[in-house]
Amino acid sequence: MNRTSALNRKLVYLVILLVMVVPLYMLGQPSGGAGDSSGGGQLSEMRDKFNIAESDLGEISPASETMKLASLGLRGVAATLLWNKAHHYKVLHEWDRLKAVLNNIALLQPHFDKVWEHQAHNLAYNVSTEFDDYRQRYEMVRDGTEFLTKGVRQNRNAPRLIWYTGWFYGNKMGMSDEKRQFRKLFADDEVLHDSLMNQGIAVDSQEALGPDSKPDNWLVGRLWLFHGYDMVDAGVKIRRQTPLNFFETGPKWAIKHAEAIEEEGILDENAQDAWRVASDGWTTFGERSIPTTSPFTIKLGELDELMRLKSLRIEEFKKLVGESAENLVAESDFMAVAKTTDPKIRLRAIELAGEIDDLEKRRNKTEGYRKQINYTYWDTLSTAEQEARTVEARRLIYEAEKANEAAELDNAIELYEKAFAIWAEIFDDYPILTVDDSADDLVQSIRRYSIAIDSEELPEGFPLSAFVEMKSGYGDVSYEVYEEIRKTQKEKAENRKKELEEEERERERKAAEEMEREKKAKAEEKANDEKKKDMKEEKQPSADDKKSDDKKSDDKKSDDEKSDEKKSDEKKSDDEESDADLDEKKPSEEKTDKPKEEEPKGADTAPESNKASAEPEKDSELNGDE
Amino acid sequence: MTLQPEDFWSFYEWLVRPNAFLESALLQGIVLAVLAILLGLIGGYIYSAARYGPSEGFYAVARVVRDLVRFDLPGTSMRRVLALARLAFKEAIRRKVLFVVGLFVVGLLLAGWYLNPESDDPARLYISFVLTATNYLILALALFISAFSLPADIKSKTIYTIVTKPVRPTEIILGRMLGFVAVGTMMLLPMGVASLIFVTRGLRHTHLEVADVRELSNGRLEGETDYLRGHKHAFSIDPDSDGLGVTEMVRGHRHLVTRNGDGTFSIGQATGALRARIPSYGEVQFYDRQGNKKDAGIDVGNEKVQEGYGSAGLSRLVGLTKGPRRAEHGYVEGGTLGVAEFMFSNVTKDRYPNSIPLDMSIRAYRSFKGDIVTGIRGSITMKHPTKPISSNPIAFIVDEYTVDEKELPLESQGTDGNETRIVNVFDDLVDENGNLMIQIRCLDRSQYLGVTKSGVYLRPGENSFAWNLTKAYLSIWLQMTMVIAFGVMFSTFLSGPVAMVATAVCVILGFSAEQVYDTRHFIDSNIERGGGPIESVVRILKQDAMTTQLDVDALTGKVIKTVDAGIVYALDAIATALPNLPKMVSTAEYAASGFDIFGALLARHAAATLGYCIIAFLVSYFFLKSREIAA
Repeated sequence: MNRTSALNRKLVYLVILLVMVVPLYMLGQPSGGAGDSSGGGQLSEMRDKFNIAESDLGEISPASETMKLASLGLRGVAATLLWNKAHHYKVLHEWDRLKAVLNNIALLQPHFDKVWEHQAHNLAYNVSTEFDDYRQRYEMVRDGTEFLTKGVRQNRNAPRLIWYTGWFYGNKMGMSDEKRQFRKLFADDEVLHDSLMNQGIAVDSQEALGPDSKPDNWLVGRLWLFHGYDMVDAGVKIRRQTPLNFFETGPKWAIKHAEAIEEEGILDENAQDAWRVASDGWTTFGERSIPTTSPFTIKLGELDELMRLKSLRIEEFKKLVGESAENLVAESDFMAVAKTTDPKIRLRAIELAGEIDDLEKRRNKTEGYRKQINYTYWDTLSTAEQEARTVEARRLIYEAEKANEAAELDNAIELYEKAFAIWAEIFDDYPILTVDDSADDLVQSIRRYSIAIDSEELPEGFPLSAFVEMKSGYGDVSYEVYEEIRKTQKEKAENRKKELEEEERERERKAAEEMEREKKAKAEEKANDEKKKDMKEEKQPSADDKKSDDKKSDDKKSDDEKSDEKKSDEKKSDDEESDADLDEKKPSEEKTDKPKEEEPKGADTAPESNKASAEPEKDSELNGDE
Repeated sequence: MTLQPEDFWSFYEWLVRPNAFLESALLQGIVLAVLAILLGLIGGYIYSAARYGPSEGFYAVARVVRDLVRFDLPGTSMRRVLALARLAFKEAIRRKVLFVVGLFVVGLLLAGWYLNPESDDPARLYISFVLTATNYLILALALFISAFSLPADIKSKTIYTIVTKPVRPTEIILGRMLGFVAVGTMMLLPMGVASLIFVTRGLRHTHLEVADVRELSNGRLEGETDYLRGHKHAFSIDPDSDGLGVTEMVRGHRHLVTRNGDGTFSIGQATGALRARIPSYGEVQFYDRQGNKKDAGIDVGNEKVQEGYGSAGLSRLVGLTKGPRRAEHGYVEGGTLGVAEFMFSNVTKDRYPNSIPLDMSIRAYRSFKGDIVTGIRGSITMKHPTKPISSNPIAFIVDEYTVDEKELPLESQGTDGNETRIVNVFDDLVDENGNLMIQIRCLDRSQYLGVTKSGVYLRPGENSFAWNLTKAYLSIWLQMTMVIAFGVMFSTFLSGPVAMVATAVCVILGFSAEQVYDTRHFIDSNIERGGGPIESVVRILKQDAMTTQLDVDALTGKVIKTVDAGIVYALDAIATALPNLPKMVSTAEYAASGFDIFGALLARHAAATLGYCIIAFLVSYFFLKSREIAA
């Protein structure tokens, strides 16, 4: 080999190098840094186009960049080793080191949002419970939450991280065993408040302050969630989460806030206000367009509107097609019917059928989505809880519990009884509330009450006896009972006034019934005949009401136990009232003819569904009114 | 820091392991030396035999042995060794190894980004960072300077300018080793100083202002400092203290608070963050709920780490000792006769003149929610080892994941079995041998307290942190020496890069020895945990979980498992022969956690280093000699 060939070789290398530089330059030229997106190579343009430049993704962290460079392309390997190490430290209970390793993992993979989420959860939920001191637990929960917040800062396009932060503030601080302590620690944690302010969460705004004028974890969580909603509304896509779930949590946190302060003994206008805000929030949530798995969006609060529109369209369709098609329409395949109509009206018919189909799909979706998150329940709850009556009932229970703890038994019993009476009313108006957590608490209160009165058996005419029966008798069935209640719930709320009147009459009827039974025993039939005539006018409306009530409860499923329960209730109430209402009863005896005949039937042949489900409520209401 | 049983061994216990000689370091050293010599002789013979024929080869080897014993060893002159060492030193310096110190300093400068001063225990984080960083840097450096020098000399034939002089191979080897060690030492010194400065400066902080100061009716002032670095302190100043007060201990440190004449407050630097507690450990004995003696406390089902195989020495290699050996927290049940009893020896007035300082790192475990606000309560009772004399129980609320420092009074109310009276620790509770028993109980029914032997100890004194850090650096120095010895050894018969890789493999295998032992343990006990290297690869490719059965046909499975077992056993043997580097690195843990590094531990490491250096020296001699013969 001589000099020339060596020179040639070098020249060839040089040329190859230069040729290779050209595509490199075209690909990798950085943009001028002048701020405009013009200029720069292919990669830089693509970064701009997809908004994935480091500066678009979130806060720039020099430490992170250094770490990535220092791993010399072995970022994945380094991350894997660190994950392993993190687990090792967790097993060894080396929390401080665990946190240090987590920081390093986050430096290596700052835009892998699942990492933030997973490890923040690890700290806040798994590690925090390893401590015995609740203050240390709180610290760890806070560390986890702060870790997540750091993730939020570094990922501007990850609404799920924001949602999760809001979830932590609510769920972890507000629902764990030590929620009372956590909530208090959070309310006093000024350092955290400052850092939240820096993060743009206005913890000093009225929206974040609880009744004690300190930031409330639920409300702060809610602010976080709304921060996420704003982001999504501005066009960022929700990833790894269903929109329904994403949007539901914020309004729910307001409800949880109201529940929480009530549980802590804030049972005055503050609680009512909180519930009002919660209710408004829930209604607003009902008006939000929510993307679904179908190509359309829905609004949860629009169910009635959809039904109305649908029935309107069906009416129109029927009118258009004519009575002849009635049978076909009954099969609800409007499209098939429309296609067979007279060509003159066919176009319009098909249009209508299409609309009906579409409305039906939307209705179906809306209903399904409402069910998923128990929309009606929360709606009812926040409505019911706004009432002064409900707050009063809760206050009474709260005070009764306190009195009970202080061993002021008489006082406690009195308070309990007052509270139970109100609760009975509430349950009658909003039966859906019989199956939630606070109802379970109420069961506990009833248990303590029965200890206080030193009797296994609840007293005669106990206002909540139907409720107790349902709770103790069939824990498993309660969901079905609930479903059933849910169906009729709305009507019930609307009919409340009507019912109250009706119950007034029911009471009279019962009294009369009782009277008649007594009379029967004494074989004083003569007197009965006379009164029957006297009270004929009064009997008529009562029977009508009864009928409507029956109709209403037609769709309810009956259970044997319920009728049993009813029997016992009736017996109890009958006995109790027999003396007090004697005067009233006598004149109304006559009207009870019909019901009286049914009565034994109901007792013998259990599935007398109508009365079975309709009456126990009345009984309790009856007693509640006293 | 949870210490393992082997950490408590004295030097003598470690060396000969009374009652368990198979586990002893001495035996391991002897076996290793004998094996090295045998292998060296056999290898040398085969090499020479190939070159000179069987009989001539034998003589060649015999000559080498004779040379070593008769001329080279006795004739080794310290002067020549030093001269050669100076050469090696100069050569290393000329290769700009001091650059590594610069790298270290740059590392320290950037470290601030990754070390969080707001962490719960910043001292620990900082100290372990500097020590680990130094450790790995120095080991890497030792690897580079030692492995390339001789091969480069041989390749460039500059070695002839030396071997033609009247120097012996022993001197060449020793000279190299000493020279490189000197280079390493010269670099460790500034690194140590830089570390000390970095740690003290990193932890240095003072709070600028006070908040919420209020005067109590008795003139005592109480207040809080401002919030800095994730913490604040409460403080109090007594009226008769001349305006001097001290803050509460938070995150391992306090500040001095002074009330100035004009009513302002000034807060001093953080003190007490850097410590070196000298612990005096006792023997622990657990009792179950019925009051029966138990070897271990109750296991509350925490996940465990499979570690501590190494402490069984050769006994594990030959299969006599099985399984991991790791002391976990043993729990005692509350409200029962369950108790953890610690017997402390050498409790004398001289060591504890004012009170008995008792440090506790105890864990709590709840079997039900219980009272959330109050932590789990326990009690400490001082008791005479044999007589029924004891102090009244001192109640405490468990403080987890810190060192909870208690001061037990020398005189307190107690009982001698008949009556209650004031009992004195030294007069009534300590027996004639200076033993004192301390009982830890849990007071809450159905809740548990967990202790380990290292979790409860008396603290007769403290050492200075700087000295402790020096000891940690000494441990790093020992590791460096060991790696240099290995590097020089490999470079006598391998080319530079290969020698470096070989040394690196030794270091890495030393560090992962526990994983190798772990794998072998699972293979031995027929537990599916992913198997050996081949099986693991198969599983990774098939994406099988490691606890499932290997999903291949019977014959293939058999072959894979057999080959794997062979590989793992070979690795196991090699790893057992290599120095236990993780153990040596773990001295950093002592310094970081604020414990004085035990003298016995350093002595053990020094002895091991010396042993390995001797072996490396002998092997190097043989190879260099054989090369000389070849040349």
